[in-house]
Amino acid sequence: MAKDRAQSEDFTNPLKRLLLGVVLLCLFAIFMVWRIDSPRVERFRLAVIDRVVPNFDWAMVPVTGTINLVRDFQSYQRIYQQNQELRRELQQMKSWKEAALQLEQENARLLDLNSVRLDPRLTHVTGVVMADSGSPFRQSVLLNVGRRDGLLDGWATMDGLGLVGRISGVGENASRVILLTDTTSRIPAVIQPSGQNALVVGDNTRSPPIDFLENPDLVRPGDRVVSSGDGGVFPAGLVIGQVAKDPGGRLRVRLSADYERLEFLRVLRNYGAERIEDTGKLIRPEAVPSNPETPTEPEQTSEASDG
Amino acid sequence: MAEHRPARVWVMRSLYLGLSFFIIFLHLLPLATGPNRWIAPDLMMALTFAWAMRRPEYVSAICVGSIILLADFLFQRPPGLTAGLIVVGAETLRARAVANRDMPYFLEWASVAGVMIGVVFAQRLLLAVFFIPAPALGLVLQELMMTIALYPIVVMISHFVFNVRRPSPGEVDAFGQRI
Repeated sequence: MAKDRAQSEDFTNPLKRLLLGVVLLCLFAIFMVWRIDSPRVERFRLAVIDRVVPNFDWAMVPVTGTINLVRDFQSYQRIYQQNQELRRELQQMKSWKEAALQLEQENARLLDLNSVRLDPRLTHVTGVVMADSGSPFRQSVLLNVGRRDGLLDGWATMDGLGLVGRISGVGENASRVILLTDTTSRIPAVIQPSGQNALVVGDNTRSPPIDFLENPDLVRPGDRVVSSGDGGVFPAGLVIGQVAKDPGGRLRVRLSADYERLEFLRVLRNYGAERIEDTGKLIRPEAVPSNPETPTEPEQTSEASDG
Repeated sequence: MAEHRPARVWVMRSLYLGLSFFIIFLHLLPLATGPNRWIAPDLMMALTFAWAMRRPEYVSAICVGSIILLADFLFQRPPGLTAGLIVVGAETLRARAVANRDMPYFLEWASVAGVMIGVVFAQRLLLAVFFIPAPALGLVLQELMMTIALYPIVVMISHFVFNVRRPSPGEVDAFGQRI
């Protein structure tokens, strides 16, 4: 019986084996090309995502909506406690709101006295989360805004509460946000009252650890962590979260952003600070600048190509 | 009978593609954007291997390779690596499919688990060889165990819902050959 089969498959087998060889060769060739020339293949990956994921959108939105509805319905069971909690929070918020209003007025007055001109280009684009990374080893989401909306690589992304991640990969009408919890995410941060510089290093857990801290003794749980703007990728002063200590004694960041429900994300337009390229003239300037008041345009694209 | 028509093979091939698209879709749903404590199993691998054990003609290498390559691209994995290894795994099972037709189910499960472990460790080995940062071993093992544990369920669904069964003795294919 086995012999029969072997004979009858004599004609098809070599062809199948050749096809299999070609398929395997193609797949491993793609892998090698990706290893050698990663940026090009990553651009191709984004183009693929750009084509495929928006096609899922018509089904994804209702399904996600339904599941969230069911989840919300489950939370109705403890609606009374939630109501109490919300009332308490609202009380606290009201006092904070008063404080914030006063501070805002004071700030406006001080800014007026100094005649400070805030950067008018610090605006944002809001996008909707279309899909998540799909892999348990990667923490990223896809937004429905892209090059069409003027997005560039490396821009910071926030939800209403805090920093969520950075744009990494922009397609025509989709872009990928690498979340702070991803293992490839490294964000320079400042820990607020002490002014210590550190890195927030994603490690695929809910609260990323703080690394490269100068002096851990000066940092206490509860301190505010904000982005420092080092490296010129992010604007400084975006809220990341609060310091917390895990049972092992390691300092971590409890993120302010609500990672459970990322729905609308705000992408901050940031064309980067002006760069000083030359080394400067040590003795004296060669030519006295004729009109030092004239501001020069910051470079818009240099940041993007780096990121 | 319907199973003998070549159209049936193409229907099942497109069903395989459709199911794979559905699994990709489920993975992409933005339900849990934070890191999770538990990890979803790799259903595509389980589905591919279950069908490769039963009806290898439904999961041709080019079909498996292209759909898992798409998943590689969408899930931010190194493109081509997982796809290549799963194709190799499916071909290993396919080569043994005829000899193993009378194998008890428990042994089949064990051999599929062996191939899955092989795929995952080959993947880690290749990532290490090419100096690509690999995901944490704990998570990978968890995913592997979930996949192996869910394999019988995938087999059951394929058997009863999609009617993917081992050919009975004496069954012939479209060209009158024994399969």
